[in-house]
Amino acid sequence: MSTDTVGLTDRDTSDHRSPIRFVVFGLVVVILGTILGVRLFMLQVASNRQFATLAQANRAVSQPIESTRGVIYDRNGIALVTNVPAYVVKIRPADLPEERRAEVVQRLASLLDMDPADINVAIDANPGSRFDLVRIASDVDEKVANFIAESRLDLPGTEIVVESRREYATGALLSQVMGYTGPISRTQLDVLASEGYLADDLIGKAGVESQYESALRGQYGVQLVEKDASGRRIQVLQTVKEPVAGNSLDLTIDVKEQEYAEQALKWGMSLAGLKRGVVIVMNPQTGEILAMVSLPTYDDNLFARGISSADYAALLDNPDKPLTNHAIAGQFPPGSTYKLVAGTGALADKKISRSTQLLTQAYLTLGSTKFYEWNRRGWGKCNIFCGFGHSSDTFFFQLSAMLGIDRLAYWAEQFGFGARTGVDLPGEVKGTVPSNQWKLDTLGSEIYPGEVFQAGIGQGYDVVTPLQLINAYAALANGGTLYQPQVVRDIKDANGQIVRAFQPQVIRKVDVDPSVLETMRQAARNVVVIRHTYNLADLPIVVAGKSGTAEFGTRDAEGRLPFHSWFVAFVPKDPTVSAKDPNGMKAVSGTDSELAVLAFAYDSRTKGNAATEIVKYYLQLHYGIKKDYRNFDLLKRGNFYQSN
Amino acid sequence: MGAINAREARISDWGSRSIGTIWRAFDLQIATYAVLLTSFGLAMAYSNSVAGGDGALETGSVFLRGLLWASMALVVFIVATAFDYRWLRTLAWPLYALQIGLLAVTLAIGSGVGGSSRWISLLGLQFQFSELAKILMIVILANYLASRRGRMDSLWSILGACVLAGPPWALVLLQPDLGTSLVFGAILVGMLFLGGASLRWLGAMALAVLSALPFVWTYVLRDYQKERLSSFIDPLSDIRGAGYQLYQSQIAVGSGGWFGKGLTNSTQNQLDFLPVQVTDFVFAILAEELGFIGGMVVIGLFIALIWRVMAGGWRSRDPFGTMFAAGLASMIAFQVFVNIGMVIGIMPITGIPLPFITHGGASLISIAAGLGILQSINIRQGRAEW
Repeated sequence: MSTDTVGLTDRDTSDHRSPIRFVVFGLVVVILGTILGVRLFMLQVASNRQFATLAQANRAVSQPIESTRGVIYDRNGIALVTNVPAYVVKIRPADLPEERRAEVVQRLASLLDMDPADINVAIDANPGSRFDLVRIASDVDEKVANFIAESRLDLPGTEIVVESRREYATGALLSQVMGYTGPISRTQLDVLASEGYLADDLIGKAGVESQYESALRGQYGVQLVEKDASGRRIQVLQTVKEPVAGNSLDLTIDVKEQEYAEQALKWGMSLAGLKRGVVIVMNPQTGEILAMVSLPTYDDNLFARGISSADYAALLDNPDKPLTNHAIAGQFPPGSTYKLVAGTGALADKKISRSTQLLTQAYLTLGSTKFYEWNRRGWGKCNIFCGFGHSSDTFFFQLSAMLGIDRLAYWAEQFGFGARTGVDLPGEVKGTVPSNQWKLDTLGSEIYPGEVFQAGIGQGYDVVTPLQLINAYAALANGGTLYQPQVVRDIKDANGQIVRAFQPQVIRKVDVDPSVLETMRQAARNVVVIRHTYNLADLPIVVAGKSGTAEFGTRDAEGRLPFHSWFVAFVPKDPTVSAKDPNGMKAVSGTDSELAVLAFAYDSRTKGNAATEIVKYYLQLHYGIKKDYRNFDLLKRGNFYQSN
Repeated sequence: MGAINAREARISDWGSRSIGTIWRAFDLQIATYAVLLTSFGLAMAYSNSVAGGDGALETGSVFLRGLLWASMALVVFIVATAFDYRWLRTLAWPLYALQIGLLAVTLAIGSGVGGSSRWISLLGLQFQFSELAKILMIVILANYLASRRGRMDSLWSILGACVLAGPPWALVLLQPDLGTSLVFGAILVGMLFLGGASLRWLGAMALAVLSALPFVWTYVLRDYQKERLSSFIDPLSDIRGAGYQLYQSQIAVGSGGWFGKGLTNSTQNQLDFLPVQVTDFVFAILAEELGFIGGMVVIGLFIALIWRVMAGGWRSRDPFGTMFAAGLASMIAFQVFVNIGMVIGIMPITGIPLPFITHGGASLISIAAGLGILQSINIRQGRAEW
């Protein structure tokens, strides 16, 4: 061994030190260090750009900024809906481990006082991807929300979001018109995702909220937010696009009129034990709907707060369909109110004149079938005023036969039957106006003469919506202009500037000489004057109108059919009864009526016409008539069938 | 040859030597590298505390705990340096019993993540005895291999070392702590290699281990360990599961660039994309915040430290000292390579901490003890060379 003082051979190494092995070990360390360095260089320097992007993508998420949904006012500026902050519980399914799902759902259910099944359904019905938030509960109590927010570890995937929800000031009173907002459905999302709708978005689901969704919603903005791994928002990095607040709406509805209408309908329904009813109030000069009540109804705040499945099932299972606006989505035989069509048609087609008299009798015979007068007696010789006033069936059987089914259908269509009115509410149906062609198309045979009789008095195949019927009488009242009914007057932007001003929309001018309609208005006044509608004539205002009793369904043991009652009326602009015009005939000759009212009483087995009493009560409320003319007796349960 | 005896005589009366002589024998470089690496660890602890949203100086913050552990480590280092390492040889068997005892206690009453038992709480601080067990393992093997001087070629030396290492290894694997058991293996192999064991038999042993791998995979490894190992092959296959950390860790490192985002500016850490950055993934955040330059400085410091440890071992005329240094160097080298390799995606996740940097008292205390013992060996070898 060398005695060199430097180097590995300095001293005896043979027993416990091997220079080669030390060198090899050192080399291995250096090589491993180099591998680390090279790999670090590859990641940090060579691929830096790519990873920087990934890191940025990790934290910067483009997120929508909700816009403020537009407010809705009644025609006098009363706010019908406001936006209030609400705590919403949402779940991101991707962050909820499947093995913990049952436990988390159970815990949430007990915290939120919900049925665990509802939560599971919500998660499974999630319209978006697993990474999209799913709405579990809306409008959660603040304390519960805070508790949930603090229990993140026990409730993985759960998030508390503060969003604004709709608070409907009028609730059930206007639900049928207002509608409500609710979570977007999968099919809606498929269509609307391209317009910026989110998987957990709210969307107008019914009524005006749905019809004017695009105006009310405004435009969502976009912001870049920094998020952590669990999706929590850390801070807003940049606002890419400011949200645009939704437009506000002014309805044509007058809350006060709506209240009167509802009060009158509720009174009549409870007294007569009715299950369904409709009252509509319109301005015949413009087509504006001042009130629209459909009972039974629901409280739209239930939906705005997130309806429980039990409540929703109860609404769906109710046989009287509280979620349906019967004023536009229900179609019923119009009964004698439909005599407007045959009367106008016969006069316009010159089948009869104002003074033509026809014999009314106990019944008409067609082949071997007897078609009875409703009172089984008749009124002898009758002109249009007598026939319409008494609502003589045999009179109108004859008019129908003179016109034939196709002219009858023509005049029905002139008044807007058989077609949607185009009212700005969703869910409208169009009814049926039977014609030869219609029957061939749908039933494969021609109309029988007996069916023509029935069509003339609003029975048989005729079905109409309450809105179609009042719209037809509004056209009668205004001298022949059929307007498209509207519930929204104008649309304003967030600054109160009018975006779309109200414009009456004309569907058509009824193809008839004005004198014909004047005759029909006088005939309608005669209905009241001759006390077909009992003491309606005693009201200190001039009312013209037509009642209807429409049989439907199946006969009972005594061969009687259940029936609906109708009454549709209009009042001249100056309604006061004057000494010069004691019967009000002059008043109704004009075309200046600004008030038409319709009441519909579904399945009303009452002694008298319930609808007439409801309209009467509404008019008393509307005009502030102190004396009460209501006939409580007529609303008693019975099977009266005479006030046709 | 004969000179050895004379020198050994001199070693025995080191106490009579001047402070200056001792100081010269003390390897200042080791202390410097250790302090620098500890500072990097503290800087990361500071960054992590700030990112956690709490002040770095708030009670119980990662940074304050790091400071506490660092000062304790300094004390341990000084005590170990002053302590005559030769007592370790005398006490080797009691120490072996202590090691097995500590590991058995850990297994019995320890707590850990997901049903494992790794930590013992001592005075409110969690302590992982398996870290200390690594140093004890080195001491025991060094003592054994030193006693086998001259017979290292023999298969019995290898088998004896394996038998000694067996019980602690099994106890660690039972915790289960795959990482530490691998470190035990690296220590064993490193010491046998540097101690001069027969390469033929070492090779045969390596073959035996390789052939046992399928058995280990099927019967020994837990499911989560398998998941972590296989996610290394293809991290993107299970991006929201086991591959998540690997993926996010590479994003952290890769987004660092040359100079990094600056201390406390890691987005990956602050936004919790690397959920266990406080433990084994600290280097990812270090690379993200301090960049390629910072990462290379740390790797360079580790290589320098290992070199000084090796130098200490080479200089030791006492085979125990040489073997101890070999074990310590093997341990540090293995942990550094596996941990950083894991962070940058070239090694699987095995739960091995990065010495000095990973926040965790036991690791720092143990490495301080190891370096202290090495200094004790250095200053008891006579004149410094190299």
